[in-house]
Order: sequence, then structure tokens, then C-alpha cells
Amino acid sequence: MIFRLEGRAKVTGQARYAGDTRLPGQLYAVILRSPHAHARIARIDTSRAARHPGVRAVVSSAESPRIGWYEESALFDRTVRYVGDEVAAVAADTPELAEDAARLIDVHYEPLAFDVRGSPEKPKTEERGDIARGLREADVVLTEEYRTQSALHNALETHGCTALWEGERLTVYESTQGIFAVRDEVAEKLSLPKERVRIITEHMGGGFGAKQVAWKHTVIAALLAKRAGRPVQLLLERSAENLASGNRNATHQRLRLGAKRDGTLSAIDVRIELEQGAYSVGGEDSDVIGTFLTLYRCANVRAEQRPLVTNLGPAVAFRAPGYAEGNFALESAMDELARRLDIDPIELRLRNYTREDQREGKPFTSADSLRRCIGRVSQVFDWGQKRAGSGFATHDWAAGGGWPPAEARVEVSAGSARLTLGVQDIGTGSRTALAQIAAAELGIPVAAVEVQLGDTGRGLYGPTSAGSATLPTLAPAVREAAREANKRGSASAERGDNPKDKSIRTCGAQAVELAVDRETGEVRLKRVVAAHDCGRIVNPLLQTSQVIGGITQAIGYAMREERIVDARLGEVLNANLEEYKVPVVGDMPQIINASESMPDEEANPTGIKGCGEPPIIPTAAAIANAIFDATGVRIRELPIKREQLIQ
Amino acid sequence: MLGPNTRALAGGTDLITLMKADIAAPERLLNVKPLLPRGIEPRPEGLEIGALTTLAEIEVHEVINRGYSALAQAAAAAASPQIRNLATIGGNLLQRPRCWYYRNARIPCWLKGAAECPAREGENRNHAIFGGGPCYAVHPSDLASALLAFDAALWLHGGRGERTIELADFFALPKAQMRVETVLEPDELILGLRLPPHPAETRSCYLKAMDRASFAFALAGVACVLRLSGDKIAHARIVLSGVAPIPWRAEAAERELYGARATDERFAAAAAAAVQEAAPLRHNSYKVPLTKALVRKALKALTTTGQTQDPACK
Repeated sequence: MIFRLEGRAKVTGQARYAGDTRLPGQLYAVILRSPHAHARIARIDTSRAARHPGVRAVVSSAESPRIGWYEESALFDRTVRYVGDEVAAVAADTPELAEDAARLIDVHYEPLAFDVRGSPEKPKTEERGDIARGLREADVVLTEEYRTQSALHNALETHGCTALWEGERLTVYESTQGIFAVRDEVAEKLSLPKERVRIITEHMGGGFGAKQVAWKHTVIAALLAKRAGRPVQLLLERSAENLASGNRNATHQRLRLGAKRDGTLSAIDVRIELEQGAYSVGGEDSDVIGTFLTLYRCANVRAEQRPLVTNLGPAVAFRAPGYAEGNFALESAMDELARRLDIDPIELRLRNYTREDQREGKPFTSADSLRRCIGRVSQVFDWGQKRAGSGFATHDWAAGGGWPPAEARVEVSAGSARLTLGVQDIGTGSRTALAQIAAAELGIPVAAVEVQLGDTGRGLYGPTSAGSATLPTLAPAVREAAREANKRGSASAERGDNPKDKSIRTCGAQAVELAVDRETGEVRLKRVVAAHDCGRIVNPLLQTSQVIGGITQAIGYAMREERIVDARLGEVLNANLEEYKVPVVGDMPQIINASESMPDEEANPTGIKGCGEPPIIPTAAAIANAIFDATGVRIRELPIKREQLIQ
Repeated sequence: MLGPNTRALAGGTDLITLMKADIAAPERLLNVKPLLPRGIEPRPEGLEIGALTTLAEIEVHEVINRGYSALAQAAAAAASPQIRNLATIGGNLLQRPRCWYYRNARIPCWLKGAAECPAREGENRNHAIFGGGPCYAVHPSDLASALLAFDAALWLHGGRGERTIELADFFALPKAQMRVETVLEPDELILGLRLPPHPAETRSCYLKAMDRASFAFALAGVACVLRLSGDKIAHARIVLSGVAPIPWRAEAAERELYGARATDERFAAAAAAAVQEAAPLRHNSYKVPLTKALVRKALKALTTTGQTQDPACK
């Protein structure tokens, strides 16, 4: 078993995170945020704050140049569009002085009408075949609505950074999933050449998608540091994290499934509204319609999604964005269909199995992997002998194959090697797995590989850690560089292209067993069995960690976590960890990782695919299906609450 | 010395969070840790618990686990181990509601001096089904219900000297002139409390329903103390948590039990009586069947042989 290379540093407190940075003369910054869901700033006066003891710099729309942000908006917009929107910021000698000073900023708001329900934007629609015909030809049509909630990422480490200017060069110690994404964005916003901006992420305490874009705090810290002539640390407090740093979009999904008596799907028709918040922040798309187009073989599909703009914090990618939401509806509906047709839920999935990506019109690289995952789960769970309270769901995921560009460099000397990468390790274990690839190629122990990563200043490019892409993107380049370095002492390599005529996906299946106390509505999860296709498994321990972590987060999503908004006030009522209830250890069932290593040699020469996102996808539906099995109550809304089950 | 501008600081697990949230802003904090008693003393007249005794100490204390199980179970069900190591029993009885309107400094609420309670027509899933109006917040303490069920009394110290008060009289629904949950004067402190002795055959338990397995306030909780004489119920106390602005004694349920035989039918009748007066809001009607279920389960657990310590609260 190979443990994380940085494990010792992390558990002994030696690992340095963005918030551990202590530079000579470092200041601490606080952002003043809008108390209104929608308002115009008529006047803003920062002079009292600027005179407060220990204050070294203040920025707001009153004294900063206009920097464009979010399409038509600005870094400090004179119109604020949600409670938590950025209004101004203060840097001072201590965090407490900065906070006190921020309260002295006089802002005169003119409140405007606000809307937390949302107005629809233009839809995105994809269609194939003839949906009317598919529905007409169906023996059974299932028509149902499903709702999912706004979920908050709540990484243990909040967003934050420390910005340092040396002349006209800016260095930022940042907690980010994309050091190059942040570099490029910060350079653009500050009108600097990219080479003068350096982003460093040595370790980070979770991102889950919310840290894959550059947020305002980084540019604010840079502006304050410039103005003060001293380094500035800006770490978001938990309330800011939960108001203004992204969320998983809530959805309302209206679904029609048409099927023949034998279970064959003849039509999938889905219309989805998703709550985007006040702004569109970019990053990975929330492709809620995706899974409806690809998971099952079906000739007639119409899928539409329409964002709703609201006066709430903006949504951003959250571990398998769109797919966790869409999967809950589709896999709940498949279970309903199985009951309606009296077909075993697993058998129904197999009858609609597809070996090709119908969206792209290409065969899958590993067309049998989902079948193998289903088989593993069925066998390990012992589905044939299942007890009451058992539920099943499969899933696919649009990514996991990685893509170019990415670079790696290997230098060998006397039985050891240095591996340099342009990518960051967001806590998933990329450092360790990529060192294993290099070590195997060089024929040396993993411990003899020194890994350097998380720094844009090293001259090697690396992609944002998103789309379960880091390992499959980097592994081929690392192997290639190591192979060449073995011959020549040192070598760099770039990630090659993916096959053009095939579609690479990841997929998997999960089964859940649980019990429900109908008197109290209490659900007790007993076990989850999971099998996910991530190609060749490099490090079983790290892969199991991703499975356990994803399922844990999925249990929170399925059963507890929900951003609560008072629609009359436009206020989030639980922007904290007390009332936003992530699961605790006592909530966790036995989680059995039944994943098999199934090298996908057609995807890339290493056969490796990613596994960061997939484990979160099918759990909610599997739980809801198990609840139906236990109680006869069909859950069509997340999170599952005891009030839905209490008798 | 104590007053609106000088607040006593013990464990700080409530006061500090109020200060951080801008709900409380005392000019001075008085460290009462060197001043108040800490510890659990069994005496002939009852069990004495000093105000500074931590929840963790109560949770593991042998005498409490043996003779006052409901109290030990309530302590174990509260908060997290880290908080229980700091939080004191005195502070626990004085903690302010966790209502998300009350705890948000931007939102006016009746308890903070406004004319209306925003929870009444708002997001009130966690709110009161008994004793609500004008405030619909629920009392956050688990231990208070257990202490009430054991007929605890408090010692208070203030500018006018010492006094004792029954815990039942200490909690009071907040009123327009006095928007707090107790009758403690601003210059008073809790010194300690006393649980009267009770016959050895008395049994008790505390059941709590939460949104997760630990580290959450009660959606509903029940402290139940029961004593049988032969096959008849000689003594019963049922006190509810998480359902009213103060710990809520279910006297109607107790009346169903006194002198009756301990049967499932009788327990069901008591559970129904416990929620007879419930007045749920839009989002919290689930608390009615939930509370009823917990009362029934508690009574059942206390009369089922072999289940003394942990009557399966889930």
C-alpha cells in the first residue's frame, strides 16, 4: 500500500496552506458585503474606515478603477445583486482591526425589488429522433417532477489567498484548483502580462469545483497589497464562503419517460430549470441534461435546460456539476418505471444498455465498463438476495478521460528523480499517483521521487483540476517524460491527443441498504456498495478515498444539506456550519468500494481515467429508491427529510 | 457588578458566538471561572452540581449515570465532545435560542426588540409547536429538560444576596418587557443546582431527534422519569426539548400515567396527550408526530426489561 507522499506533513501540521502564509509586514483584509438582495449604492464613503488605527488600504467603487467582472458587472459594482455581493475591502495590521474598519464604511443603499425565485433565461436544447413518436409508441409513459436543492460546497478550507508585490511582479499564495486559470484571470483584470503573475498552491483543503475559477477576493487582495505596499492576506469567513463562493444549482426537472412493455426506452423528454444565482461565473458547465442524452440507449430524446437568474449568490461547478442533479431524477424515474413494468431495476438498466455515446455519435472507448460495474455491485451487494430497503442506481459522467495540454518534466540522478508538474494537487493525491507513474517507469521506489507542483513560476503548464481530469491528463505525459529521462537523464513531455473517433466516459453503479423508522421518520443507512470505472487504478487507497469521500458528500446532498433562503428577505438563513448540516461520522454507513481496475487502453496509453467526481453522482437516487423499497414512499425532492417519511 | 454591560463568561460557548454574530456586545466580560463552584457532590439532601461543572463531567459521572440516566444521556446528546469539554451547566441553562432569525444581526426579530417574529410566517421548520408567540424560537438545551424532569432547584447569587428557585419557575416564556427565557436578574449568577433524591427504582432516559447523528440541536427531545410501584405507575415526569421557547413539561401526558398500569395502550394515550395542545406552524407540523413518537418510545424503553441505559433513541 502506498500512502500519500504529503500525508505526514499534513497530519503533523507541516503542510502549508494559503492561510498559513506569514510574510514580513503582512496585512489582513476583510471584504464588506451587501446586506441587501438588490440595491443601488447611491453613496459610499470610506474615509472613516481609512482613518481607523492600523488601516493601511481601502478599496471600493469610490477609489478603485473600474474592473469588469461577470459579463456586464464590475469588481465593485454600484448595483449589488445578492446578500454577500462585494462592496468594499479593508486591509489592516490585524484581522480584527480590518473588521472594525469595514464597519466604518458608510454606504447609502437604495434598495431595489429582488427575486429569489428567478426569471428564466434562454434555454439550451438538444434533440434527437422524434420525441412525439417515441411517446406515442410507448406502452407506458411515466410523467413526474423532481426537485433538487441548492447545496453549498463547504470545503474545510475556505477560499483565500495572500498577495505579495515585488516591484511590478505579483505573487499570490492561493487556495485554487487552477493556478493557471487564476494567473490568467488576475493578469487580465490587473492589465499585467501573464509572466508577471505567479500563483502558488502547495496544498489545499478541498475545492469540490468552487475553486476552479478566479474569484474577486484574489484581485481585491492584489489591489490592497499594491495600495498598502505590503503583502495582504484575505481569507473568507464561513458566512462569506456560503453566501458568495458558489453553490450547486437547485433544479426543477419535469421528466417524461416512454417505454415498451419489455422496458425498452422509446422516449426521454426532460425540461429543466436551474437556479443560477445573480451571475454566471464560468468554469465547468452545469450540464443537467447531459445524462438524459447519454446514459441509456434511446432513439427519441428531447432535453432542455433553462437557467433562472435570481438575487442569490452565484452557482458554480460542484463535483459532477449537473450530473448529480440530473441523475437523481433519471435514476429515480428508472426505478419507478421498473416497478410499473415489474422488471428488476438492474435488469431494466441492462435492457437499455448503450455501447456508444449517442450525443457525440461515437462508440465508447470502454463500452463494457458500465456493465462490469453493475455486475460488481450486484455481486458484492448480493442483489439477488437483497433485503427490504435496498435501492440501486447507475450513472455516467461526461468526463474523466483528461485532455491536452499539460506538461511534465523528469530529471534523474543517482537512483532518485525529480518530477516537476504544472498542475496542483487539490487534496486528491495527484502528487502521489503521478510519482508512482514516474517511479514505475524509472524502476525506482516512489519515495525516491521528489514532486514539485502547484507553482506557475516553474515554466510548465498544467490544467485546472476539474472534470476528474488531473490524473488521466498528466499520467501519459509523466510516463513519457520518465521514459525519455531514463535514457537521457532529463526530459519534458506533453500530453498527447485523445482518440478522435471514440468517446471517453466514466461510469459506475451503487446499491444502498437502509431502514426507515416510520414513527420518527429516521432513516438509518446500513451500507453502500459502489463500483466505478476509472480505468486502471493506480493507487487503490487513494481511489477508495475518493469513493468514500464522494459517497459521504452525496449522503449530505441526499439527506441533509440545503441552503435555506427566506424569500421575503432575500437572506440565506444558514450560511454557517451549524444550520447547514454536513454529515458527521455517525451518519456514515459501511461503504464498500467494489471498483475494479479496468485499464482503458483506448483512452490513453496509461489506461488511466479519473475518479474524483463519479462517486457523488448515483447515491441520492440509490437512497431514494431504497426508501421506496422500504416504505412505498417515493421521494422526488432533495434533501430527503423526515417529514416526508413520518407516518 | 454584573448587568447589561458586564456579562459573566464561563465556557463561552454561547456568549462568544452571540458576540461574534453581533447579537451581544457587552462592554466588559467578567471571568467567573475563579468564582463559582465546579463539581458533582452526592449529599443526603440530593445531588449538588456546581455551576461551572462541564457537560462532559456530567456525561461521565458515575452517580449521574447510575441514578439520573436522563441527565447523562442528555449531556451525551448535546453538541460535540469539544463543546461539552468547555460548556458549563450554568451557561447551558442560560443559552439563548439558535433561531436563525434571532442569530442573524441583519434581521429584526421580536426577541431582539422588533414588533414581529419573522419565523411565524417564515422558515419555521425548527420552531416551536408549544408556547409560541410572540417568540417562536425553541429553547436549545437538552439538559434543562432532564433537570426539570428530576425537579431540580437552582441557587442564584445577585446584588440582593442568595436565593433558591425551582427550575420550573426559573424558565418563563419571554414577555414584551422581559425578552429572555428565564427570570434571572441581570445582576444574578447561577451558583449551582440540586437534584432531590429519589427512590432507587426510579428509571429515566432522554431521547433526541436531530437532523444528523450528532452535533445538532434537538428537533424534538424528551426527558422521561418513571417509577413503578408493583405494576402501577407511581411517578412520572415528561419534559420536552426543542418544541417550545422554554423546556416544556407535558403534564397532560403525566396525568395519563399516574396510577395507571404500564401498558402500550396507556403509553400511546400519554404520547397523544403530550401533543394535544400543539399548535404547529407551516413547516414544523412534523414535530407533532415526532414528539409523540419519542414520548411513546421513551416510556416503552423505560418499562422494557434489560434496557436501562440506552433505550435506542433512534
